[in-house]
Amino acid sequence: MNRRAEQQQPKGYEKAETQWHDDYRRDIGDAQPVHNRSGVPIEPLYGPSTDPGAAHLEHLGLPGQLPYTRGIYPTMHRGQTWSQRQLIGHGTPAEYNERVLKMIDAGTTAISLIPCNSVYRGNDCDEIPLPLLGTCGTVVNTAEHMDHALSQVDIAAISTAMNDPSPFTLLSFVLNVADRRAVPWQQISGTSNQSDYLSHFIANHMFFRLSLEGARRVLLDHIAFCRERVPNWNPLSVVGQHMQQAGATPAQAMGFTLCSALQYGRDCLQRGLDPDDFLPRFTFFFDISMSLFEEVAKFRAGRRLWARLTLEQLGATTDRARRFKFHGQTSGADLTRQQPLNNIARVTTQAIAGILGGLQSLHTDAFDEVINVPNEDPARIAVATQNILREEAGLCDVIDPLGGSWYVENLTDEMEKTIVAVIDTVENAGGMYAAAESGLVQRMIGESALAWQDRIDTGDQKIVGVNCYRVPEEKDNHAVPPTVRPAKDKMQAHVDQLRRFKTDRSQAAVQQSLTALARAANSTDDNVFARVVEATAAGVTHGEVIACLRQELGFGQPLIVD
Amino acid sequence: MNTQTPYRVLVTKVGLDGHDRGSRIVAAYLRDAGMEVVYTPPWQSVDQVVRLANDEDVDLVGVSSLSTDHLIVPDLMQALRKAALEHVPVVVGGIVPDTEHALLFDAGVSAIFGPGTARDTIVNTVRQLAAAARDALENPFT
Amino acid sequence: MLLDALMAGDRRALGRAITLAETGGDRAAELGRQIREHTGNARVIGVTGPPGAGKSTLTNRLIGALRAGGQSVAVLAVDPSSPISGGAILGDRLRMTSHTDDDDVFIRSLAARGHLGGLTASTPAVIDILDAGGYQQVILETVGTGQSEVEVGEIADIRVVVCTPGMGDDIQAMKAGLFEIADILVVNKSDQDGVDQTVRHLESMLSLRGPEHTRAVIVPTTATKGDGIDDLLNAIDRCSTILNPNERRRDRTRRLLAGRAAELLREHLLRHDSERLDTACRAYENGERSLEQSARDLLKLEYP
Ligand code: B12
Ligand SMILES: Nc1nc2c(ncn2[C@@H]2O[C@H](COP(=O)(O)OP(=O)(O)OP(=O)(O)O)[C@@H](O)[C@H]2O)c(=O)[nH]1
Ligand SMILES: [Mg+2]
Repeated sequence: MNRRAEQQQPKGYEKAETQWHDDYRRDIGDAQPVHNRSGVPIEPLYGPSTDPGAAHLEHLGLPGQLPYTRGIYPTMHRGQTWSQRQLIGHGTPAEYNERVLKMIDAGTTAISLIPCNSVYRGNDCDEIPLPLLGTCGTVVNTAEHMDHALSQVDIAAISTAMNDPSPFTLLSFVLNVADRRAVPWQQISGTSNQSDYLSHFIANHMFFRLSLEGARRVLLDHIAFCRERVPNWNPLSVVGQHMQQAGATPAQAMGFTLCSALQYGRDCLQRGLDPDDFLPRFTFFFDISMSLFEEVAKFRAGRRLWARLTLEQLGATTDRARRFKFHGQTSGADLTRQQPLNNIARVTTQAIAGILGGLQSLHTDAFDEVINVPNEDPARIAVATQNILREEAGLCDVIDPLGGSWYVENLTDEMEKTIVAVIDTVENAGGMYAAAESGLVQRMIGESALAWQDRIDTGDQKIVGVNCYRVPEEKDNHAVPPTVRPAKDKMQAHVDQLRRFKTDRSQAAVQQSLTALARAANSTDDNVFARVVEATAAGVTHGEVIACLRQELGFGQPLIVD
Repeated sequence: MNTQTPYRVLVTKVGLDGHDRGSRIVAAYLRDAGMEVVYTPPWQSVDQVVRLANDEDVDLVGVSSLSTDHLIVPDLMQALRKAALEHVPVVVGGIVPDTEHALLFDAGVSAIFGPGTARDTIVNTVRQLAAAARDALENPFT
Repeated sequence: MLLDALMAGDRRALGRAITLAETGGDRAAELGRQIREHTGNARVIGVTGPPGAGKSTLTNRLIGALRAGGQSVAVLAVDPSSPISGGAILGDRLRMTSHTDDDDVFIRSLAARGHLGGLTASTPAVIDILDAGGYQQVILETVGTGQSEVEVGEIADIRVVVCTPGMGDDIQAMKAGLFEIADILVVNKSDQDGVDQTVRHLESMLSLRGPEHTRAVIVPTTATKGDGIDDLLNAIDRCSTILNPNERRRDRTRRLLAGRAAELLREHLLRHDSERLDTACRAYENGERSLEQSARDLLKLEYP
């Protein structure tokens, strides 16, 4: 740690504790005292009873204090619990709208939009076989569609998460809708959930649309644009979830993700952006596996490392810029097709791990994860799981409740070492961009995936219902609601409508904005994302924006390795 | 009978899906069982899979589908028939809801392997189907 | 019948015929004999080099360049077989995706099946089939090879050896084998650091080669972006005109036959003529004859 860090560190444990206490009180006042069922009063935080020395502070700190091992906020879940972000999307914009309005009626304050697979691949719906449309997400190709999807939704008040890879057409549509509804962009808040093109190139291939170089350029334009014009939007979520779901170990996933974040941070620095301004808008997105303590340690170590890396590598000067904010999603790959109701127990375990690990936002998988996108009932239970954990289990009473456990502290240190070794491997290969381009990361992940599968195949790793405690097949699948596919006639009408839209709009305006977009892509000083927003306002569709940029910036062929 | 050379199988993906954790594992299973696996990128069109099956002259086509792309596998079956490749068995692995198994079996798919299928089940079934396909090619080289 | 279909450009027949050639046996031999008179038109471009040098990516680009010139192109891409299971993952196609819809491009993945040398035992036969099937250009991508596997030099009309920047030590190691056979040395991944240094290094090594090799040229490429591909194609075309193709082909046939005869002889001695082999062994083991002498005894060869 260098001098600046020391200055921010209060001297002595007692002093740090007083500081924490003041911060805590400032944030939530004299909150209701908490007692457990036996009447024992529960403090918000437990720590060493005697001064543990300077090393302890430097290593763990207190909640809300560097290096944030024990949490990034002084109050953590005792103050504000995590936000509940369930990913949804299915069918046509009208069908999405119906579901979203229901959720808002039920009290949701944050919504998400998962687009159709065809949207991810960069196509309009009139280019794709009908059976593949709307099965996993909503078919949104134009600003009109977005307007429809968000009909009666107060976009100034609600936070939206867009699963929106580069070049961010969904956000572009949202901004067009804001213009139509005369909502200033300053009031638009939310996150571009899928801006981490490296994670797509490596592990989430459907989302990878432009060449690596092109995606890199457009992301920077997007970040710069949002910082300037849509200040309440988080333009970057750095994703470890894809890589862990593709088979990376938890330590690898954390290491790779920190390397990606470093890469993006360095790219922003090179672009001349201020780390104290862009870093607070970086968020992270992780997988939470069944390995409960390992996951807790992964998150604690990740926080500690990010606080260090932002300072040493990216030159952050404010505490805010060094906070590791993350969304967690329970691991779908740990769920089983066999005895699907058992998945509720798994998701509960994973969610607990994430909560104890100090997450800011959580998605819990539905028990029909291994069959289809969540049906209504399983989705409801997934939300209920979060509610139960928050309201009934007392998980939010104490900040970093596992802190100080010999096991967990030791494991946090060991995970940190393992993560650092992963970071070193990537940095020695020239950083995350180069390590992805060369296939190094993909190969490491593939090896881990095979090794894990081998443990299951040999029975070393027990999976209930799969390689032990099995039941006959006819007893296996009860209670799973049948798979629902989008209504063919509605989808066909949607496709027909897009075709009509394409013929009816002003072709001159479309041509003009596509020319401007192409020119921006070939210039070094124009902002490509700004032109995307103009183009979609002029009626250019999602597929057309991407086709144009693929032409100018290169087609996105993620690196598939065998 | 023609068993002296290794079986050749195609492991591929049609449509829009990009999940490849499972297909990589299956490719390794089949390699380790002594088969030659032609491994392709995702996003093959139906016509491209037909061409692959023909040019690579495989004994079996394996489609991995996790994001509902199995819904166009019936089109693939038809296209294979049209290309005089109806003797090549097709298996599908990944996520296929029970309610849609009939759609695939009726179209002529030979087997479906869901998540959690034991390695031996996959390897043995693929081997049997490939062997049967070779045997069925009566007087194969005329 | 297979022959007729093959000559008529039936793609199904082509796929089957290659399998037949790979399987071997009498029918394969018969087909091979029958098609001979229809061969001799294809140009065979061998692409070899260390694992991961970019052979497949380069091949993908080369297909495009040859197609732009109106030529039909076939590719044989060889990957190693696992010595343990005998299986293989044939993944070269992962990098050859640009031409899957083109009717005049035919790509076939082959496993080495224990054959050493970077190709398959059936490769000459398969080339004939593609040649007879009307493909004007045949690209052979070898297994990612180290230094000793230079079989492609025996078979290809034009030999392209692919290396990458920063391969200092590897290039030294290549010197003995791969490097010797190159008509064209490609320095791929020239988007990475160290290209100039590698080119200089190769140049100085080239200057040390004997007179029969002086024609080799060095071409930097970036296969992922397509840079340098036109230069490569030009170099290949120039090579084709400089080298007397008939001479090379005759040469190739001679070497091919000699090699095959040697293989057959080895098999024959081990399996069918073991008595004479045993006699020679004894003479060698009890010190009567040297290794060289015993071997010559077997062949009934006199000292020159
Ligand atoms: C891992 C995962 C991911 C990873 C993929 C990483 C990667 N590189 O593969 C990430 C996080 C990137 C991801 C992203 C998405 N995913 Co996903 N993902 C999963 C998940 C959780 C596990 C899949 C997996 O890898 N399992 C482990 C492997 C080993 O098992 P497997 O693939 O099933 O393979 C086994 C068998 O099925 C069989 N098999 C499979 N293929 C083949 C082929 C042959 C020839 C044979 C013989 C056998 C065989 O053998 C294998 C070994 O036993 C599934 C849900 C689930 N639990 O299955 C969802 C799931 C497949 N994803 C889904 C979706 C929707 C997506 C997204 C579109 C999300 C979005 N809307 O934003 C994206 C798009 C992904 C893409 N690139 O295409 C949905 C699909 C819905 C549906 N079918 O109706 C699922 C079912 C989750 C859900 N319920 O919503 N995903
Ligand atoms: N930076 C860069 N990477 C390249 C270039 N050419 C190929 N690559 C990458 O190098 C890796 C290996 O490329 P391949 O074409 O598969 O190499 P190969 O020689 O065929 O490999 P094997 O068949 O496995 O021996 C891939 O990740 C390619 O994307 C290039 O010109 N520049
Ligand atoms: Mg290759």
